[in-house]
Amino acid sequence: MKNRLEELRKSRGVRQEELADALGVSRQTIGSLENGRYNPSILLAFKIARYFGMTIEDIFIYEEESK
Amino acid sequence: MKQAKNIGLSLLGFALIAAGIALIKALPDPQGILRSLPFLLVGFGCGIFGHGLGDALAKKAADADPEMARRLEIAQTDERNVMIGSLAKAKGYDMMTYVFGALMVAFALMGAEWTVIIAMVVAYLFVHGYAIYFRVKLEKEM
Repeated sequence: MKNRLEELRKSRGVRQEELADALGVSRQTIGSLENGRYNPSILLAFKIARYFGMTIEDIFIYEEESK
Repeated sequence: MKQAKNIGLSLLGFALIAAGIALIKALPDPQGILRSLPFLLVGFGCGIFGHGLGDALAKKAADADPEMARRLEIAQTDERNVMIGSLAKAKGYDMMTYVFGALMVAFALMGAEWTVIIAMVVAYLFVHGYAIYFRVKLEKEM
């Protein structure tokens, strides 16, 4: 699953540490989310969407797995 | 309250260590259970003392620096960290299954006393039974 987290964070001038603090997760989790190594739980996805004032679908891009 | 419990545990651990050392010194030629009891007391005492003292020092440090305590709490509850910890434990459990199995076979081939082998088999089956119990419980809950 791809996401626009890094783009959105940078466009708002927020540091990884600040975002992590606001969401109650570690900075490493933000880093892993940004480079696609980790997919968030639905709760964290909602928190992220709420933080940016967007919907989950606006931030996380679901890609159907090719057969 | 928590700090009192930690200090109490440290004192209990210290008392066990002291009792163990006193028994070692007092009994130059111990018989039966007294041959191993003092060392068990020292071992358990060290564990309890270290645990209690460690928790007490951690609580003191957290009280002195709330920001550090908050970060520590985030690190402990962070969903990625929790998931990594659970996966690592699961991998360790899988490995333990093979290692225990190999150890039981090795002991049997070495002609170890059957009570030791039976105890290992019971422990092995208990751990697997525990895993099955939680699997069924979680299947019902989720």
